[in-house]
Amino acid sequence: MRLEVKRELSELKRIVAATAAFFAEHGIDARLRNVVDLATEELYVNMVLHNTETTADIRLEMRPLGAGVEVSLTDFDVDRFDPTRFQPVDIDAPAEERTSGGLGLFLVSKMVDAMTYQYRERQSKMTFQVGQD
Amino acid sequence: MFSVDQNDEGVVRLSGRLDAASAREAERVLDEAAGECVIDMTELEYISSAGLGVLLRTHKRLLSDGGIRLVGVSPHIRDIFKYSGFDKLFPIEAA
Repeated sequence: MRLEVKRELSELKRIVAATAAFFAEHGIDARLRNVVDLATEELYVNMVLHNTETTADIRLEMRPLGAGVEVSLTDFDVDRFDPTRFQPVDIDAPAEERTSGGLGLFLVSKMVDAMTYQYRERQSKMTFQVGQD
Repeated sequence: MFSVDQNDEGVVRLSGRLDAASAREAERVLDEAAGECVIDMTELEYISSAGLGVLLRTHKRLLSDGGIRLVGVSPHIRDIFKYSGFDKLFPIEAA
């Protein structure tokens, strides 16, 4: 599956619909959906909010991988920004000291099986895998 | 599809998908909450970090009055709270 999405949060609805169709088409365990939806949203929103030097669409790709799925998001004509090098979140801190900054990427790192970052010719590509045997 | 409302008892009910596109709508209602705030998540299917941020800001604002209390939390959303450490911030009751 390949989908080009605009840099608008309203596109999340289209991403969720495309993911649901992809899961149905390939018979992928629906229990993986929440993690795939979460990781896809967090990485997509991260690109939209941080890579403001471009107006190009973001490419979303999914392919079956074993019993699970591999998902890639590619952002074009952007500076290097590696989401795998996020600041750790102190989950034991009291509420007064907590902020939501960095929480999305932290959650992704905890919930997916693997996550990689590639940067080449001003293209930033994040890939993650979920539900591998 | 996301919706948020507050019933006559002051309970805020969230339903559908609380993501980056709907977080502002949730915040608009939760900004009006006062005292200890009970949030019913029975019909909530999904939450991302944008939704967690709304809950955290509301909890911090109401902390001196008891903060927020979550009820009807599904196993998947409970996992999100566990991974984020939010299960240590406020009371959470399962669905």
